[in-house]
Amino acid sequence: MVVSATYFDGESARNRSVDVSEDGTNLTFSGTDTPYTSWSIKGLHAIDAPTTGQPYRLTHEDKSGARLIIRDDAFIKNLVSRSSHLKGGYSGRDIAHIFGWTIGGLVAVAAFGYVAMVLLPDKVAHILPETWRNRVGSQMETAMAEGAKLCHSPAGDAALSAMITNLALGQPDLPAISVHIYDIPVLNAFAVSGGKIIMTREILAKADGPDEIAGVLAHEIGHVAHRHPEAQLVRLTGMQVLGSVFTGSNGGDMTTNIAFMATVLKFTREAEAEADAYARDTLVKSSIDPMGLKRFFEKINKLEGGGGDKSSAFSKLGGIFSTHPGTEDRMKLIEPLPAGVVAKPSLTNEQWLALKDICKG
Amino acid sequence: MPPIEPAPEKLTFAYVHRPGLWKIMFTNLGMGIITLTVWHFWGKTNVRRHIWSCIHINDEPLEYTGLGGDLFRGFILVFAIFILPLLLLTAGLGFYLGPQHPAISGLNFLFAVAGYLLGGFALYKARNYQLSRTNWRGIRGNMAGSAGLYSLTYFGSILAKWFSFGWATPVMNVVMSEQMIGDMRFGDSAFKFKGRAGPLYPTYALCWFLTLFVVIGGGILFAYEIAQWFGSGFEEAFKHVFKTEGDTKPNSSELQLVGFFIVGVMGLVLSYVLIIPALWAIYSAKEMRTLANYTRFDGAQFKLNATAANVIWLAVGNLLIIVLAVAVAIGLTIGAITLSIWMEVDKNFAVAVLTAIFVLIVYQGVWALSRPIIIQRNIAFVFKRLTLDGAVDLNRIRQSIAARPTRGEGLADAFDLGAW
Repeated sequence: MVVSATYFDGESARNRSVDVSEDGTNLTFSGTDTPYTSWSIKGLHAIDAPTTGQPYRLTHEDKSGARLIIRDDAFIKNLVSRSSHLKGGYSGRDIAHIFGWTIGGLVAVAAFGYVAMVLLPDKVAHILPETWRNRVGSQMETAMAEGAKLCHSPAGDAALSAMITNLALGQPDLPAISVHIYDIPVLNAFAVSGGKIIMTREILAKADGPDEIAGVLAHEIGHVAHRHPEAQLVRLTGMQVLGSVFTGSNGGDMTTNIAFMATVLKFTREAEAEADAYARDTLVKSSIDPMGLKRFFEKINKLEGGGGDKSSAFSKLGGIFSTHPGTEDRMKLIEPLPAGVVAKPSLTNEQWLALKDICKG
Repeated sequence: MPPIEPAPEKLTFAYVHRPGLWKIMFTNLGMGIITLTVWHFWGKTNVRRHIWSCIHINDEPLEYTGLGGDLFRGFILVFAIFILPLLLLTAGLGFYLGPQHPAISGLNFLFAVAGYLLGGFALYKARNYQLSRTNWRGIRGNMAGSAGLYSLTYFGSILAKWFSFGWATPVMNVVMSEQMIGDMRFGDSAFKFKGRAGPLYPTYALCWFLTLFVVIGGGILFAYEIAQWFGSGFEEAFKHVFKTEGDTKPNSSELQLVGFFIVGVMGLVLSYVLIIPALWAIYSAKEMRTLANYTRFDGAQFKLNATAANVIWLAVGNLLIIVLAVAVAIGLTIGAITLSIWMEVDKNFAVAVLTAIFVLIVYQGVWALSRPIIIQRNIAFVFKRLTLDGAVDLNRIRQSIAARPTRGEGLADAFDLGAW
């Protein structure tokens, strides 16, 4: 079968009419201004899949710039039916290439993710110079306090120092910390870089005794001792790099959002468990009743809508995104002081009242 | 007898739909999920290959010869030399000086400026890549000028538009087109662009003043309405309906009052969102027609038959596609979350993971299934309305000898400028 077709030689835009035929092995064509040419069918490549009524474009490995355009549907059908590689689309080699790249890329990303999110943060957190940690911490504290009043009263400050001293009794290598209480009506306590611990007025208001606050404080000191805030900052940097890999762009303005992200994400479940363990250990060693911490957890649990109230679907959903391990699971791990150990109060009654009123000063 | 030299040809443009785009879109969706979106580069290439093959010039389809790997390598390069160092530098400085240090804001400002400077560079390079991968009659295109020079013009035009409250727009767009289009080559033949911005100004002024009128007029109307309402116990009604004070139940007339207010505000916002873009469609259409008119190839003059109504319909259609896709996505997401709550997601980590994966797939799907359609609509819009007055001597056109770039569009992608 001989059909007419159009040939472009890839060197000029001249439109050349040719007559094409094929014998199953070779495709040959020639025209008034095109010399006799023979292309092996094996070396042919289809530009796109054959579509009825659309021009079918072929090229050849020996002349990749040239194009032969056939419009005869019967000829195309006949040719393609015997040579599956002319159906267009990806060849086996193409697919292997793409998968190779993709899998390679994903492995590289996963490896980077592992290094940046798991291996490095803890190591980097421990080698960050003291001055850097403090500088970052102060700025984060300022950002998180959002201009709220820093609570002060001579008696309250003294009570806070006394509580830290009491905690340090059993834990002589307590890290250097500074504890600030802000006049913020939201229940929260967090540790930021440089051993800075921030508590809110609301957390004092919700506590029914000094041991509850001592427990919370011991937990935050646990974060400081493990350098969790610093590690989290390194992890956020890694996350941002990963994010930019997937979005193909600069993942936004990290520095201005960092305080915000740190508050939102707080720490990982593992970090929370570590801080809990540190708190339990410190409280027992200092003979402060760990049941204070437990009671505080029970309160949080109630506030979070746990403990029986399953009516709100959205409070249930919130649990997925919470980074704190389930409060109930955490409570189970808290045990009373060993038998025979007499609990020491973390503060005297007078000191406790002074601390509770620190924001009224 | 030597072959008779064919005479110069008149060129006609058409967008001829062919089946296969939906198959590509669903493949892209599936592969995007399997490869955690890395497929994106190949998916984009497949969409382009399809759309290019639907653009017919004198019944001969265009051919897109780009590869997903080109885009992938472009991205890797830009990531390695640009994004990663930038991220590490800001992060490192953040650790050293603290995240709130003024030096960091200064650095971010410098990066923003560099970004605007590089924006033009990226657009030019992307155009060069696309032209070098576009074949017609076996001949490819290229850009013959300097991306650096264009980036300066682009940056200058941003500043000029900014400082002139937009009034530099017609001039700057003509200047930018002169550079961009004037540098375009098909094989060894150049596109030529010549024309003044003057004829664009009456339409620009019309749109500018009408926008001002809408903004100020809307503002006055709004202020007047509020003044009226506040005189008629609106404040009380508002407090009752939204329970900002006390526990008083609102009566029906108060509900009506607040209802009217909300509808009024929404109407105002909607009219801003719809009226102002619609106004500017008048200018867009005028600019498109004018810039096409200023463009010549081998002496033949382009014409684009696009009216403001055409542009509005195009934009409205595209908007509806996005709204529909997003609505479906939101519906599916709400469905998935409801189902996961019913399946006690809080006790079942697997349900949570499956829900999250499902939602990710849905949002992948929104893009994979709406973007190609919109791109196709935009391109079809142009090629259905484009004509070329005069004949072109195609036989003289030789293959381009410019080197083909080996990577593509990394920078344009980074700035989200990869329009096609």
